[in-house]
Amino acid sequence: MTHAPSPLDAWFAEQGWAPFAFQREVWDAYARGESGLIHAATGTGKTYAAWLGPVRAALSMNATPRPHRRRAEADPLRLLWITPLRALAADTERSLRAPVDALGLPWSIESRTGDTSQARRARQRTQLPTALITTPESLTLLLCRDDHREIFRSLECVVVDEWHELMSTKRGVQVELALARLRAVVPALRTWGLSATLGNLEDAAATLLGTTPDGAVRPGRLVQGVIPKRVEIEALVPDTMERFPWAGHLNTRLLPEVLRRLEASTSAIVFTNTRSQCEIWFQSIIAARPEWFIHTAIHHGSLSRAQREDAEDGLKTGRYRLVVATSSLDLGVDFSPVDVVMQIGSPKGVARLLQRAGRSGHSPGRISRIVCVPTHAFELVEVAAARDALTVGAIESRDPLDRPLDVLAQHLVTLAVGGGFTRAEVLPELRSTRAYAAMSDAELDWALDFVVRGGDALAAYPDYARVRLEDGRYRIADARTAMRHRLNIGTIVSDTAIAVRYTTGGSLGSVEESFVARMEAGDRFIFAGKPLEFVRLRDLTAFVRRAKSAEGAIPSWQGSRMPLSTELSAAVRERFARAAAHRYDAPEMEAVRPILELQRERSRIPVPEALLVERCETRDGHHLFVYPFEGRLVHEGLSALFAYRIAQFAPITFTFACNDYGFELLAAERAPFEEALANGLLSTEHLLHDIVQSLNAAELAKRQFREIARVAGLVFSGYPGQAKPMRQLQASTSLLYDVFARYDPENLLLHQARREVLERQLEASRLGVTLARLEQQPVTLVDLDRPSPLAFPLLIDRTRAKLSTEKLADRVRRMTVALERESRPPGAATLRPARLSAQDR
Amino acid sequence: MLTIDLAGEPAHLLPDRALHLPVHDALLVADVHWGKAAAFRADRIPVPRGTTTDDLERLDALLEMTAARRLLVLGDLLHARTSLPAETRLAIEAWRARHPRVEIVLVRGNHDERAGDPPAVLDIACVDAPYALGPFRLHHFPTEVADGYALAGHVHPRVQLHGRGRQRLALPCFVFGERSGLLPSFGSFTGGAIVDPAPGARVYAIADGEVLAVTPSALSAAHT
Repeated sequence: MTHAPSPLDAWFAEQGWAPFAFQREVWDAYARGESGLIHAATGTGKTYAAWLGPVRAALSMNATPRPHRRRAEADPLRLLWITPLRALAADTERSLRAPVDALGLPWSIESRTGDTSQARRARQRTQLPTALITTPESLTLLLCRDDHREIFRSLECVVVDEWHELMSTKRGVQVELALARLRAVVPALRTWGLSATLGNLEDAAATLLGTTPDGAVRPGRLVQGVIPKRVEIEALVPDTMERFPWAGHLNTRLLPEVLRRLEASTSAIVFTNTRSQCEIWFQSIIAARPEWFIHTAIHHGSLSRAQREDAEDGLKTGRYRLVVATSSLDLGVDFSPVDVVMQIGSPKGVARLLQRAGRSGHSPGRISRIVCVPTHAFELVEVAAARDALTVGAIESRDPLDRPLDVLAQHLVTLAVGGGFTRAEVLPELRSTRAYAAMSDAELDWALDFVVRGGDALAAYPDYARVRLEDGRYRIADARTAMRHRLNIGTIVSDTAIAVRYTTGGSLGSVEESFVARMEAGDRFIFAGKPLEFVRLRDLTAFVRRAKSAEGAIPSWQGSRMPLSTELSAAVRERFARAAAHRYDAPEMEAVRPILELQRERSRIPVPEALLVERCETRDGHHLFVYPFEGRLVHEGLSALFAYRIAQFAPITFTFACNDYGFELLAAERAPFEEALANGLLSTEHLLHDIVQSLNAAELAKRQFREIARVAGLVFSGYPGQAKPMRQLQASTSLLYDVFARYDPENLLLHQARREVLERQLEASRLGVTLARLEQQPVTLVDLDRPSPLAFPLLIDRTRAKLSTEKLADRVRRMTVALERESRPPGAATLRPARLSAQDR
Repeated sequence: MLTIDLAGEPAHLLPDRALHLPVHDALLVADVHWGKAAAFRADRIPVPRGTTTDDLERLDALLEMTAARRLLVLGDLLHARTSLPAETRLAIEAWRARHPRVEIVLVRGNHDERAGDPPAVLDIACVDAPYALGPFRLHHFPTEVADGYALAGHVHPRVQLHGRGRQRLALPCFVFGERSGLLPSFGSFTGGAIVDPAPGARVYAIADGEVLAVTPSALSAAHT
C-alpha cells in the first residue's frame, strides 16, 4: 500500500524518523477497525505504533488543525491507555502529547492514577479528557461510577501497555473484566496490547481480546515489531572462589569490580532483584565513593513518587549518572539509554534479562550488553545457563489465570456500585473473558451469594449484605459500603502499606506493615538510601527522623523469592550435567569449578538421569536433601508430598525448605526414607489425593488465603488518615482462615486458596510430570559427613513450611521455650523474635 | 487439667482456656469477645457463623464440670457495639437461662468500654478493675499491685516453643510470674500475641486438649 504524504509523515520527518513497517501495519489495521497485540523489544516504537492509529484516524476527520484553547473544548473521551505502573503515567502522557500538540488536534491528554491530585480528579468527574492514561485499579474505580455507561460511550480504543506484565496476574484479570464491561458499552471497541517478547504470544493476544458475547473468538492481529538487537551476557567473575559465599543474596563482595566498571561509564543502571538489595547496593556504592552521591539515585517501588520521578528525570537529563533500581525501572516509555547495565544477583529469567539488557546500546545496530554480578557461587551457573537459553531462543511464557473467585467477587461489587446489574446481563459478559470463560453457573451463583449474603454459612443472617438483590437487579447496599469498596480496590497490588514520613513533614515512600510492626522508638533503619530513626507509628504512617549513623536494618520486603523460570531451570540442569561430565566450557563455569568439584568430592554432581538424595545429621537434626532441579514452585509441592508420604510410616515432624535446585526435609529423628522409597514414595498413584492431603497438612493454602482474603474484602485496612483505625474489625488472615476452615469448610474462597496453591503455586501438572520422570529413575542416596555445597543454601534457609503426623502434645514435650535469646543455637540468631501485630487482640 | 499453686491457693488450669479457683468456687475467663464475627458481618465483612455459639457451649461444659458458682470475666466480654444482633442476643440469653444461679462479674476491658455493658437481662455485674477475690486482684490490662496477686487478660498470650529440627510452635498459654499472671484468650475467634515471659515465670501451654508446663531449659512433662 502506498501512502500520500500526510501531516503525520511530515511530523515523523521533522523528528528525523521514518515510520517502521510494523507501525504502518498497525495504523492501517486500526483504520480498518481491527484489534491486536504488538510485540517488540522495549524502546522500539511500540507506543507510537498504538497511539498514532487513533491520531491518524482523527486527522483524517479534522482536515485542518483546530487547536483547542480550553479543556472543555477538547474532544470527548476516545481512548484509554492502561499502564501497570502509575510511575509510567507521567512519561506516557508526555510521549502521547508530543505529536498531538504538533499536529494541532483538539485533544486533551491526562492521566488518572493513585497519584493524581484531588483537583484534577474533580475536573475529570465532570469531563474526562480525550485520552486518559490510567492503571487497572483507577479504571475499575471509574466503573464504580453509576454513569460509567455514559462516560465511556464515546470510547473508540483501549491500549493496554506492558500486557506481558499484567496478563498472568490478578490485576490482569481485573483488566480483562474491565474490558468486557467496556465492550458491553461499546461493542465496536478496538483493543491493542503492547507486549515484550513472550513464549506464548497467541495466548497473550487471545486473553487480551476475549470472545464475543456469543462465544466466538474475537479476531486479532499479532504484529511483530523491531527484532531484538544482539544481546551479550557477561558475568563478573570473582578472582577466587575461596571466600565467595555459597548462598544468600546480600553479599557485595564484587563491589570493587562493579565500581571499576562504573567509573569507566558515563551513565549506568544497576538492577537488583529485591528492594533490600537495592538499598544495600546504593549504600555500599555511596560509602565507597562518597563523591558520587551527587549524581547517584535510588529507584524502587516503595519510594515516594517524587523520589522515583526525580531519579527517572535525572537519568534522562544526565543529572544522575547512576541509578540503582529494582524492576520498578524495568518498564518505561521514554527511554534513556545508558552505557552500562548491571544485574545484581540471579538473572531469574531470560525475558527479564533481555529486557534489562535492552536499556543499553540504543543506537541502531549496536549490541546490548548486560553485566551480571553474582552474589553467590551458583548464580555463576545461572548466568552461563541464561546465555545458553538465550542462544536457543528459550523465552519464557506467561500463563493467563483461570477463574479467580476473589477477583470475581470484587468485580461484582464494582458493578453493583456502578449502577447495578442483572444475572442474565452479567453472565455472558463475564464469560467473554478468558479468565471466566469456563466459569460454571454454580460458581457465578456462589459469587453472587457471597456478595449478597457472605456465603453459605451466613445464609440466614439478616444484617449482612454488601450487595442487595431487588427486582432481579444487584445493587450496592449503601453509600458507606460503596465507599469502602472503592477504597479496597487497590488491594490487589498492595499489602497494608505504611507510609514513611519525616516528623517535620515530607514523604519518603512506604514499607510493609510487617517491618514496621517490629519497630520501637529509636530503632534505626535504612530506607530511600537514607539512615532513619523510627519515632512513632500513627494512622498507618511511620514517622521518622534522620539518623546520624548510617547503620541500621534494611527493611526486608516480601517478594525476594522470585523463582527461576522453567526455561532457565532446564538450562541450569543442563549446565550441571555438563559439569558432571567434566565439561566446564564457559568462563563462569570455569570460575565455579572448585565448588562443583567439592560437590563431587563430598557427594555427586547431580545428573538428569538419576535423582540425587543426600542425607546427613547436624546439630539441627536429620536432613534429607533432594535435587530434582524443577524450580522452586514444583519443589514446594514435591517437598510437602515427600514429607507427607514419609510421615505415613512413623509419626514424625518435618520442617522443609526449597530453592530452585531442590529441597530439604529436616526432622529431629532419622526419617524412614528407604522404607518410604520402597513403598511408593515416588509413585504417581493417588497423587492428587496425596498432594491435597499434604498441602492441607503443610498449611500451604493458609498462606495463599492471605491475598484472597484481601481481594475478596475480608480484611480492610481502614480509611486513609482515619484518626482511629477500625481495631474492632481487624483480624489476621490466618485467624480468618482458621475460622473459615472450622465453621464454613466448603467456602469457595478456601477452595480457591487450595486451587491456587495446586495450580499456580505448585504447578500441579508439572508436579505430576516430574514425579512420572522420577518414578522411572534410579535414586542415588548418599550419606554425608557434612553438607555438600548444593545443600548449603537449603541448610541456611529460614523460611520453612512444616508438616507433622505427631500429636501436638507429644511435640510440645520435646520442645523448649526460648526465653533467653542468647541460649538459642547460633543459626537461630537471624530469626527475629516473632511478634504478632496487635490486630488479633 | 493441671493443678498448680497460685498465691498460696490451688488453681486448676483448664485446657479450654479457663482458670478454676476451687477455694472461691470461681471460674475465670478472659477476652471472650462474644459477637465478634457478628460485628464483622454487620460491617459487611463475611465471617462464618458459629463462633459465639461454640463459646457458649464451651462455657456450659466448664460450668458443669467445675460446678462453679461464680463466673468472673477479665474483660472484653462483648466485642463491639454491633455484637448483639437479635440472633446472638437470643443465644446468649438462652445460655444465661441455663445457668440462673451462677453469679457473673465482668471486669470491664477496652472492648467493653466501646461496646457498652451487656443488657441488664443477662444479670451480669459490671465493675471496673480491680476486683478483689481473696488474694487475687482481677484486671483486664496486665498490671502489678501492692496488695495482692494480679490476674489479667488483654494480651491473648501465646508462647513460642523451639525444638530440634528447627521446629517452632506457638500455643496459647497461661503465664504466672512472681506477682501477676496472664490468662489465655477464651474466644474462638481471637488470635494472639507471642509473649516473652520474664525469667522465673511459670508458663503453661495448651495443646491437643492438654495443659503442659513448659520451662526455659528442658521441658518437664506435666501431670494432666
